Amino acid sequence: MSTAIAHYLAEFERLAPSLPWQDSPQWQAWRQAGWDHFAAGGFPTARHEEWKYTSLAALEKLRLPCGPRAAAPLEWDTLRIRALLPEARHRLVFVDGTYQPQLSRLGPLPAGIHVQALSTQTAERSAALQAFLGTVRARTPFAALNAAFMADGVWASAEAGACLEEPLLILHVTSAGHQVHHLANVVQVAEGARLTVVEQYLGLTDAPCFLNQVTSLHLGAGAALTHLKLQQEGAGTYHIGALQAHQQRDSRLESHAFALSGVFGRNDMETVLAEPGAGVVLKGLYRVAGRELQDFHTSIRHDSPDCSSEECFKGVLEGNGRAVFNGKIRVARDAQHTVSQQTNHNLLLSDQAEVDTKPQLEIFADDVKCSHGTTVGQLDESQWFYLRSRGIGADLARALLIEAFALDIVASVPVPAVREALEQLVRSRDHV
Amino acid sequence: MLIIKELHAAVGDKPILKGINLTVRAGEVHAIMGPNGSGKSTLSNVLAGRENMTVTAGSVQYLGQDLLAMEVEERARAGVFLAFQYPVEIPGVGNVYLLKAALNAQRKHRGLPELDAMEFLALVKDKMKLMEMSESMLYRAVNEGFSGGEKKRNEILQMAVLEPTLSILDETDSGLDIDALKIVANGVNSLRHPERAMILVTHYQRLLEVITPDFVHVLAGGRIVRSGGPELAHELEKQGYAWLGSEAPEGKSSAT
Ligand SMILES: Nc1ncnc2c1ncn2[C@@H]1O[C@H](COP(=O)(O)OP(=O)(O)OP(=O)(O)O)[C@@H](O)[C@H]1O
Ligand SMILES: [Mg+2]
Repeated sequence: MSTAIAHYLAEFERLAPSLPWQDSPQWQAWRQAGWDHFAAGGFPTARHEEWKYTSLAALEKLRLPCGPRAAAPLEWDTLRIRALLPEARHRLVFVDGTYQPQLSRLGPLPAGIHVQALSTQTAERSAALQAFLGTVRARTPFAALNAAFMADGVWASAEAGACLEEPLLILHVTSAGHQVHHLANVVQVAEGARLTVVEQYLGLTDAPCFLNQVTSLHLGAGAALTHLKLQQEGAGTYHIGALQAHQQRDSRLESHAFALSGVFGRNDMETVLAEPGAGVVLKGLYRVAGRELQDFHTSIRHDSPDCSSEECFKGVLEGNGRAVFNGKIRVARDAQHTVSQQTNHNLLLSDQAEVDTKPQLEIFADDVKCSHGTTVGQLDESQWFYLRSRGIGADLARALLIEAFALDIVASVPVPAVREALEQLVRSRDHV
Repeated sequence: MLIIKELHAAVGDKPILKGINLTVRAGEVHAIMGPNGSGKSTLSNVLAGRENMTVTAGSVQYLGQDLLAMEVEERARAGVFLAFQYPVEIPGVGNVYLLKAALNAQRKHRGLPELDAMEFLALVKDKMKLMEMSESMLYRAVNEGFSGGEKKRNEILQMAVLEPTLSILDETDSGLDIDALKIVANGVNSLRHPERAMILVTHYQRLLEVITPDFVHVLAGGRIVRSGGPELAHELEKQGYAWLGSEAPEGKSSAT
């Protein structure tokens, strides 16, 4: 057993008795299965196809204590100025892995909409929850590790036909550092229901920490879910996220991912278009500078006919920043009339920055429209010159061009308040 | 206003300008003609500060300052304006944003207060009328999807808004229909002023009929091989450039 595994095992044994619902044999078994699955494979290395370009060596060396810990008290006023939706009527706030009722608020929810922190679920309700968390064995190594340790997060559901117009904000704040946090969010949108969920990960510390989260999305027939994830992690944070979406007939998922800071980010996003007529839009923007890394592995499974997927990721790389994009699209044999589009564009602003981008199309049906394209380019010298020749300063001209490059990803966010806040964020990073 | 002395410039290791001498005084309009590839755009771009064109020798003084030592944006703020032969499309940057940022950068440089949105729009709309441009072009991205003629008009609109001290128009007339040419010429003529100067790069006499230059120069092989008055343009129109070959003076070719 590697020493890293031994460390996590010791932590698992230490924490297991205090994790939620451990009096239930099902949960015990589920967590144990998560641990076993992770321990069997250990930390992936470059020999694993999925981890070829992203080294976990530094993360493996971090031996931080796991689990929730008593958070230092924070005031909402401190967080408000950094919150993506400061005026959100519905927000659940977590600090250092633990739900903070005093920082959260839930306005009156329409009939059929339920939102709760995982840690406040009763053992009875939690049985249903487990079903939505899926089979542990099908998980990525870190999502399996999450199954073992997960102690908090959000469970949001919309019953058939229910609709919540305002976005639900899930704000996770890392404040103390020197800790591993495991969080899980489950979003369930039943037949014909509609929901908008915004996950914001905000780092207030540059101390080393590791945040390992899983988000499961379930869309019933004709359901519509808008999902957004923003990573604004501190300079010492390793962030690993898994998004698992399952879509039934004619459902529509729009997911927007913004990875704007943090020393290390890895997202495995998978959506299964399980029934005919389902559609997914995946948009993403990653920015790296200094020695940061962002890695997006996406996988869209067209398992049924007449489904559509539209995927566009963009990256802006500066300094010694690195990025990885791997976009898998799998079209099953009988998924006829699939329409699928994938693009990944990268803007390299320094000679030391590096990106590995790889589309991975596996198409087994014959009547499909699938396209993909990747580009890696530099700032357009003639555009830069043109702006400057009109009197615009070199830095502003550069910022404008970066913004212009990234803009369509931000512009595609359908919630105006979130879109405007993101525009500001993308802009402020440029103007520093 | 502008004194160019023995200017040599290269693109990569390829010498393009091989000793340009040219003096432009306030109030003057100079036309530069010459065969394709002779270096007209290179000269224009060097004056605007393009970085991939290296000045290997010579000097350029603008209003008593060393122009070549100034950054691109400093030159612009000091009143140098280049209307591009091929205006660049910049998707994602609004035309109106560019105009406003450009104007305010210049005003700030001159110690003038920045214009607010209302004042600015009033000014721009006025200039757009002069250019007979539809207002909708303001709200599109810079030159994106503009027709060839629209791009040229947009260049002149920027010029009209910025009111540069030294305007360099690189083939702004190429690709314009007759009506558009008149509009552009009106725009340019409206900017003629005893304290401003212009350099018009063109292949056609027809532009010089509507904007009468004080001097015409012929640039060939990276040098000014001939200078004269407006009548030189007529001659060129009739005879082409071939006849200049034998007469082209070696070495010094100056125009004042
Ligand atoms: N980026 C470049 N790389 C290589 N050669 C270049 C570059 N830019 C210009 N040149 C060369 O420099 C020479 C002069 O070009 P320039 O564009 O200045 O000519 P011009 O007089 O403006 O021609 P035209 O009348 O066709 O506009 C040409 O031979 C051209 O091929
Ligand atoms: Mg030219």
